[in-house]
Amino acid sequence: MQTGPRLGGPLSSRPLSSTTPLYAVALLIAALFIAPALRAQDWFHLETSTGAGKLRLAVASFKSSSADPATLPAKAAFDETLYNDLSNAGLFDLVSKDMTPQSAPGGQSEIQLSQWSAAPANAAMVAFGNLAVNGGRITVNGFLDDAKNPQYPQIFARQYADTASENNARQIAHKFADEIIARLGGGITGIAETKIYFVKQTGSSKEIWGMDYDGANQHQITHTGYAISPRISPDNSRIAFSTLGKNSGFQIGMYSLLLNRTVNFANTGSTNVSPAWAPNGQQLAFSSSRTGDPEIWIADPQGTSAHRVTDFKGPDVSPTWNPKTGAQIAWISGRTGLPQLYIMEADGSGVQRLTDGGYATSPSWSPNGQFLAFAWDRKYGPGAPGGQDIYVMEIATKKWIQLTHDGGRCDFPAWSPDGRHLVYANSSDGRADHTRIMTMLADGTQKRALTGPGSDMPNWSWR
Amino acid sequence: MSVFATLDEQSPDRFGSGFVRAIALHILVAAFLAALAIYVPGHVEHWGESASTVGAIQASMVSAIPLPSKVEPVEKSVLASENVTPAPKPPPKEATQTPPKPTDILIKEKTAPKTPPKVAPVEQPTPPKHPQPTPPTTKAASGDAATQLPQAINQVKNGTAMATVQDRTFGNRYAYYLKIVSNTVAQNWYTNEADPSASQGKRVTILFDINRDGDPENIRIETKSGSPSLDASALHALQRVEGFGPLPAGDHITVEYTFDYKQP
Repeated sequence: MQTGPRLGGPLSSRPLSSTTPLYAVALLIAALFIAPALRAQDWFHLETSTGAGKLRLAVASFKSSSADPATLPAKAAFDETLYNDLSNAGLFDLVSKDMTPQSAPGGQSEIQLSQWSAAPANAAMVAFGNLAVNGGRITVNGFLDDAKNPQYPQIFARQYADTASENNARQIAHKFADEIIARLGGGITGIAETKIYFVKQTGSSKEIWGMDYDGANQHQITHTGYAISPRISPDNSRIAFSTLGKNSGFQIGMYSLLLNRTVNFANTGSTNVSPAWAPNGQQLAFSSSRTGDPEIWIADPQGTSAHRVTDFKGPDVSPTWNPKTGAQIAWISGRTGLPQLYIMEADGSGVQRLTDGGYATSPSWSPNGQFLAFAWDRKYGPGAPGGQDIYVMEIATKKWIQLTHDGGRCDFPAWSPDGRHLVYANSSDGRADHTRIMTMLADGTQKRALTGPGSDMPNWSWR
Repeated sequence: MSVFATLDEQSPDRFGSGFVRAIALHILVAAFLAALAIYVPGHVEHWGESASTVGAIQASMVSAIPLPSKVEPVEKSVLASENVTPAPKPPPKEATQTPPKPTDILIKEKTAPKTPPKVAPVEQPTPPKHPQPTPPTTKAASGDAATQLPQAINQVKNGTAMATVQDRTFGNRYAYYLKIVSNTVAQNWYTNEADPSASQGKRVTILFDINRDGDPENIRIETKSGSPSLDASALHALQRVEGFGPLPAGDHITVEYTFDYKQP
């Protein structure tokens, strides 16, 4: 608190009353004595010139403290997942595994911080701990130490327990990584426990699949025959998608992850596609052609009390809500010919066009409400240069940057809940069955594939 | 002569007791000024500063540039120093082995297996959950505390960042948090917002509080740099920060952040 100078200043600069000079002088003198006492204790001075580096973090190999044969594979999965999670976060300067000391400290009393803080590791922080499998239970003790503060090294310690399996070892590593990021990320929440839902093509059928954010643990969810464009609800309980019925055309489908079955969604006879959840989970925007032209409609998650918000000639599809406010919708409209990116208020007012040309598709609104990611082919037409790539536009300024270059056809970007990552579909040779799911940091770096070919239309969970 | 004499005789009549009162008032004013001179500089000097006599410097991320000592360089001669710190008590004599007499050497060698004291596994007491008062040290509470910095000492790219702390407990125990604050703000400072020619070599100091949830509050300029664009860029850096993560302890802290514009 600034109490010292702020209280002292006005008092001493106030003109002294001529009628009570003694009183004023006494007040002045009293202020001189009191001011230091009023100074609050928690006062820090920080300073910067230009730029800042990343925190250097070392991850020790965890100590296996049980003889159970299941320990080793669990530990291998845990170590790899933890390292990858912290590396994927893009927050840390992670010490290469070649440079970390070979010791595997299992607890606070076993670690020699000087080993870690000295060259070549030079770590500022060390994550370490032990892992045991006993009687079908896996127990992990994780520690995070400030390697350069030998007096009070420990930042936190956590214990995790679950039934023993490699998958659970990975989930525990995700939890521990998120805890580290919560402490060291400077306000950034980790995404290691989030999920990605996507479309997997096998033969002629397409189904919704789910996986961990790092591509592990892929599993099928729906069994409808043909389901695309999954959208997970903000509370992770339901997935809305578009499904192709036998004689009804495209309809909205709804799958409950709690009941593990499809639940009812009131469709009309016409085509209904591209659902999008409002951030409160109480509304669903989608494109419906029940009035003849595809328009944006908003209904509740059961499909009832639907109302139309757009009324333009030409198709209006692919809505996405502003997740920060829940009051705006971005969508793709073809009213001027080729599809372009637009935004409006959720009641249909205040329409603005954002792209100036080309062929724009698949918008996704960033969690902080500031950016739109979308796929864009800026020079569309036969013989035009370039291709379809992922772009991010700042809505306030309409400035955009291109995130993918020359990597083949890219589509369906989706934001991670921390707003620092994007997941998208990429086909390096343009063939639909070669499409795989890639992820990158939102500045276009650290691109890597999460799945093999045959997967498309990713959607990142809200948390 | 007589003219002067008459003047001399008249003066006591004309000024009389008023003159005495005036002199007394002058003496009073002088005494008051002297009292002010004694009290004011000592207090004013270190308001808001990390003056060594107020709080010990606890954390610094500067490795190359040592923190300047705030104490006047009187060093070397302790006796010449004005603010003589009480000499630390002589450390209590360790119960050392008396040096063996020459005649004892043989006996010593027989009892040789006295192992040297183990150095490596010093058991660190698990730190308490809540900040504890720092145990009193024999060290003088002056700038020399800067030499025993617990915090990760780091040079950030192309510049310096340093943290000074008045609450010893927080700075010692949660030095990593201050480093996160320092890094986060520095990452959100876009130096190209500042006019290079007007800002070169200037410094602006921003004050802000961090509440329990880790959100910056009460962002205000403490010392202007003289370059409005640099002041604005520093304010924007703080406004861009959405949070530093929950405070590890306590209700709030106050940070004084100096932006030092140096372009190569």
